[in-house]
Amino acid sequence: MHIPDAFLPLWQSAIYWIVALVFIALALKWAKHELSEDKIPLVAVLAAGIFAIQAFNLPVAMGTSGHLVGGALAAIVLGSPYAAVFILTLVLIIQGIIFGDGGITTMGVNILNMGVIGGFVGFYGFQTLKRVGLNRYASAGVAAWLACFIAALAAAVEMAIAGTFPLVPGLIAMGTYHAAIGIIEGIITAAAIYFISTARPDMMAENATVEATT
Amino acid sequence: MIEHLATIERDAQGTSRVHCLDARVKIIITFAAIISMVAMPYSTAVYPLALCWFALFVVWWSLTDLSPRVFFWRYLMTLPFGLFIIIFQIFFENPYYDVFTPIVTFPFGISIYAQSVEFASILALKFTACIIWVILLSSTTPMEDLLQGARRLGFPSVMALSLGMMIRYLFVFAEMYADINDALAVRHFSAFSRALPYRYRIKILAYTIGTMFLRSYEQGERTYTAMLCRGYGKDTYEHLEKKALTGGEYILIISMIVLFCATFTGVVLFWA
Repeated sequence: MHIPDAFLPLWQSAIYWIVALVFIALALKWAKHELSEDKIPLVAVLAAGIFAIQAFNLPVAMGTSGHLVGGALAAIVLGSPYAAVFILTLVLIIQGIIFGDGGITTMGVNILNMGVIGGFVGFYGFQTLKRVGLNRYASAGVAAWLACFIAALAAAVEMAIAGTFPLVPGLIAMGTYHAAIGIIEGIITAAAIYFISTARPDMMAENATVEATT
Repeated sequence: MIEHLATIERDAQGTSRVHCLDARVKIIITFAAIISMVAMPYSTAVYPLALCWFALFVVWWSLTDLSPRVFFWRYLMTLPFGLFIIIFQIFFENPYYDVFTPIVTFPFGISIYAQSVEFASILALKFTACIIWVILLSSTTPMEDLLQGARRLGFPSVMALSLGMMIRYLFVFAEMYADINDALAVRHFSAFSRALPYRYRIKILAYTIGTMFLRSYEQGERTYTAMLCRGYGKDTYEHLEKKALTGGEYILIISMIVLFCATFTGVVLFWA
């Protein structure tokens, strides 16, 4: 899902960067108000943990594998979509600059897809599904699936706008693959949240109900 | 990816002339090279420009004392998604050409077009000409130096502080990741083993990921408490010693940017 450099024209990359910067600024504001600036180290260390979590290869089907994006998991556990924006921004900076996964000019669009879309869809999907009566874990699973799937569709649309991959095949390819990957993301997110809420109920109970106030 | 962190950092600890350059110089040159390559429209003018970028890169890499194998290994790691887009490109029409000539036709109306093959090669070259500079930067600059360089170039302090903390703990979690994998391996657990029920494998992986999440959260809490004990507060900032670039470094930055701009302009004017 990481769009590399050169797959979007420079002017489009600049627009995505501007939009991403707005959300990064909001995420920093959230970190200062909700976490208090003192607790930023906690989120930074958590970002390192999410980076490690993404390294686990998860079996999908027919020998294929995928990995967790983790945006929905972070947003749900920390109780704000801005947590995902903040954490995924840190993760994507390291991935883009150290590993070359993603890109420099396309970092904005990748933050937008995985951090912003992933985080907001994951968090508000979770809240909405819980309100309509689904239990916490099913809500988390479906929300994580949606976060993965919609972020992938967004990447397909962005590349279609750039003219580097046609819309319909892009939506089909990215949609199909990430719909499958998303199921694993959903199951793992739901199970991880079950595990966390069993082992550290204080963490979930305290944070999962906090509304995003930024 | 995280399992390669130590290898990349070890390569970055070298003592070559490129390694010893100030991180700011390498960051600016990398960004200039990438932005100018991305700025080139999707046309055959990318061929000569990419060729020039590759030639410049070879000169830089030869000064790093790093083996070409290091580069190719790093390059292969970056390929999967870009390669998928590039390979499938040959089957589709795109908005950058008016006429498409099929060179191979398959059943179900699938064709490979000459123009699409050309476009795929343009994308591949642009992608490669960008990624090589990122590989050069990260293979010759330790992460802490990169962060300090970014801070001296105006990277926001809150983000720099977070990123600095994250970088330090990446190595802790890289070890933790390796330990967990070893622990699973000695218990004969493989996520891809068909001898184990799929549901069981997913459950173990989910609990492992949950454990990792909890451990990182708790590590974050411990780190935060330890920092408070050392006087950390919201007005704390990490001291960063002022360091001016040398005259030679200024000349290097300016000459590289002039070279990029001149090559770009020359290609645009003469190739068109």
